[in-house]
Amino acid sequence: MAALGGGGTRWRRAWLPALQLLRRGSKAVTRHWKAMHLQRQKLLALTEFLPPRPPVPPRCRPRHATEEPRQEDGYARVLRRQAEECLRGSRMVAVCQFNSLPDEDVATLRHFLRKHNIHLKFILNEIIRPVLAQSELRSLLPLFVCRNVLLVSPEARAREMLRVLKGVPQVVLLGACIDGTILSRQGVENFARLPSLEVSQGQTVAALSLLSSQTSSLLQRGPAHLTALLDEHIRRLRDTGGATEPPPGRSSGNH
Amino acid sequence: PAGPGGVAVPRAGLKKLALPPDYSGITIPEKPKLKFMDKVPAVPKVRREPRRLRDIRGPSQEATDFTQGQYGILALGGGYLHWGHFEMIRLTIGRSMDPKSMFAVWRVPAPYKSVTRKSLGHRMGGGKGPIDRYVTAVKSGRLVLEVGGRCQFGEVRPFLARVAQKLPFPAVPVSRESLQEMRREEEEKRLNNQNPWTFERVVTSNMLGMRKYLSPYDLQLKGRYWGKFFLKHRV
Repeated sequence: MAALGGGGTRWRRAWLPALQLLRRGSKAVTRHWKAMHLQRQKLLALTEFLPPRPPVPPRCRPRHATEEPRQEDGYARVLRRQAEECLRGSRMVAVCQFNSLPDEDVATLRHFLRKHNIHLKFILNEIIRPVLAQSELRSLLPLFVCRNVLLVSPEARAREMLRVLKGVPQVVLLGACIDGTILSRQGVENFARLPSLEVSQGQTVAALSLLSSQTSSLLQRGPAHLTALLDEHIRRLRDTGGATEPPPGRSSGNH
Repeated sequence: PAGPGGVAVPRAGLKKLALPPDYSGITIPEKPKLKFMDKVPAVPKVRREPRRLRDIRGPSQEATDFTQGQYGILALGGGYLHWGHFEMIRLTIGRSMDPKSMFAVWRVPAPYKSVTRKSLGHRMGGGKGPIDRYVTAVKSGRLVLEVGGRCQFGEVRPFLARVAQKLPFPAVPVSRESLQEMRREEEEKRLNNQNPWTFERVVTSNMLGMRKYLSPYDLQLKGRYWGKFFLKHRV
């Protein structure tokens, strides 16, 4: 209405876009989604968010490349301390693969091993692995995967342990560390076949003292041999001649 | 997962024992349930007021942060709440929460704005209609209500989500941490935008005469709001 020229001479009025645009269409705030002007749509399409592109796409990076240092769990610390004490205070540490066994059979096995002062210990892999990595039993690390059980004992009773384990096919001996020596399964069997410490000590002592015990007999061998020969000779002479005078060699031997 | 030697390594490790949540500084007020909101204010308005839809448009300036509670419902769009909505919220929250260990607080006022309506079936004209009801205006980014007490977000979220779905504008249940996270993400998005052309930049410098097609309010709204709607995907 204001834009329409009136009368004969048509003259332009100032065009107020605010008024003009309000003639048609709805208010600014509507219940429905108001249709946008094309220019506004174009502007919105132009000014959309563009995410930053990393130089290396995340799927090309190695997975679990940097593991964040996890907060130390108090419980894990306690378990680790227990494991360290256990390893330090034992002469024999045997690692066995533990296949699933009924609870009562586990209790029975524990009882039989306890009779020989061998303790059955279940330790979580994620706790035992760092403990082993820092101690000198590093070579046993590859054995600690899947379900395993530790047999620790302050004395090295390998024969009894093997005897008990032979009756339990579900527990398979993988390796052991006895007196600081890492042994495989064959090694443990050989160790079990060895005589006990006292017997082997006695044997060593006997072997060492064998030479010294033989010295006196070695030194006396010459004269003993001579004495035996002369006795034989006398016996022969007595047998043959029965002569009263003694042989001249003997009196000369007395001087 | 394969371990050394191709043997499968079991994944379940040591159980991580978490400490129970600390509720030491939380006091539950005397009336933990939501207050009853009147349909009509105590002094009803005589004079019918104009529509003033600008109370729906744009971001909210009040009640944007938590005061007493830990969890709440955040409005992601503008709209009017009337007495029916208030009753729905009050009854649903009252039914779902435990008054001994949780409390809820309104963050919107009772309906104060009168809305008129002409009777059906009449032609245009004949003056402004009589007052039909009273409503509360809610802008986007405002908290509608807050819930707190000895509870976790996971316990509270289901019924807050149900309430949020029934509101006339899009809404989400939030906690203090999730709201902070939302704001942080928004800020990060704004900073990491690789697009050299932003709505704000184009509008403030009136590039290509864009202001002819935009409203003067777009200088403040910066393309994130359109009418009562809040465009979440915009930077």
